Amino acid sequence: MINFHPSTQQLDDFVAGNCEPTLALMISAHADMCSHCMAKCQQLQNIQSVGAMSDVPTDHGPDFSAMMARIVQMPSAPGLTTLSAKQASIELDGKQFVLPRALRPYVKKTGDWSRLVGKLWQAPVDMGDLGRANFIYMEKGGKVPEHTHMGTEITLVIDGQYSDGMAHYDCGDLTVLDGQHKHLPHSEADEGCLVFSIVDKPLFFTAGIARLLNPFSNLFFK
Amino acid sequence: MLVGIPLESTTNYTAKPIDCADEMSVHLTDIANSRSQKAFAEVFSYFAPRLRSYALKQMGNEALAMELVQDTMANVWQKSHLFDAEKGSPSTWIFTIARNIRFDLLRKQRNRKEDICADDLWPVLCEQTADVNEVALDHQVTLDEINIMFTRLPDKQQQVIEAIYLEGKSQQEVADEMNIPLGTVKSRTRLALQRLKEMLDE
Ligand SMILES: [Zn+2]
Repeated sequence: MINFHPSTQQLDDFVAGNCEPTLALMISAHADMCSHCMAKCQQLQNIQSVGAMSDVPTDHGPDFSAMMARIVQMPSAPGLTTLSAKQASIELDGKQFVLPRALRPYVKKTGDWSRLVGKLWQAPVDMGDLGRANFIYMEKGGKVPEHTHMGTEITLVIDGQYSDGMAHYDCGDLTVLDGQHKHLPHSEADEGCLVFSIVDKPLFFTAGIARLLNPFSNLFFK
Repeated sequence: MLVGIPLESTTNYTAKPIDCADEMSVHLTDIANSRSQKAFAEVFSYFAPRLRSYALKQMGNEALAMELVQDTMANVWQKSHLFDAEKGSPSTWIFTIARNIRFDLLRKQRNRKEDICADDLWPVLCEQTADVNEVALDHQVTLDEINIMFTRLPDKQQQVIEAIYLEGKSQQEVADEMNIPLGTVKSRTRLALQRLKEMLDE
């Protein structure tokens, strides 16, 4: 069951087109998995459109006739959708994981899986200017070294469950963590756990041999 | 902006945003079915000034505002067949198109790479699939590799790195403990990191 949702404020910003692109992407993906938030977004959209479109301009405004004449010369554009043509899942070890719609454009930008430590796998996703993202798969008993964040880490559970010493997360749960949090994600679920995670700054490892990674964490978790 | 309104109180909100929602729905259907310029003129004259107000408020720039009006209304003209009155009112549909165009305009203006587009975030019109280019993968480093690189450092550099990065000591503490000048700790650290970086680049 999904327990971690974006706040109403975050959803409102998302619907208005005003939240950070990375958070917007994660909220969009969450809403694909969460009918509750999807419905909330639709309500907010209705409310916002009333506010945005009811504002009748007071000034005379420009002459729109040339614009309208240009537009009606345009041909009608072909219909729906090539979304289904996008690859909808990623694979690890013969297992297919179906992704929420919003993440599908990134399948093609996802690199190969590499084993990090023990039971932990990572596939980097090229997000351009947006930040550093990874699919991270924890096999049962898999752990991410304890770390904190210099920036923000946004994580969406795509499949399975994991815990991190603060809470237990299920499929569809969305969390936003910053430098105040130190956590040690691990999965005890039989099927393991696949998450999609975006960090805007490198992680800061706080324990063990992983500390050695800190000078290079910008190379490592990207 | 209607920020922070508890959604619970709006659960029974019925979208009846403008008196002419039904009328506009009919016009959109006419555009879709028969490319009616007359119907489009009605929709256009109602929404274009409103869109300009919205855009001016959001972006504060007349040229951008007009670009937004033009792109939004062009979508309405070209894609009116995608409007579904079951899903919402015409003004909600047109608002979401404008919101998407604004998002893309602002990102373009900030010269961001085309790494995310509004239609992926809010599939209002869902069509284009700008074909994403395969991007070369960056080198991946595993903890095992880091371990191996670490052991390839000279002993003295290993000791310093271990104390600082594994035991979390300050450079001054390391200097005191090893009984060497602070400058030596600093230069060993620098050389070690440089060496590790070279190994990572190899
Ligand atoms: Zn939700």
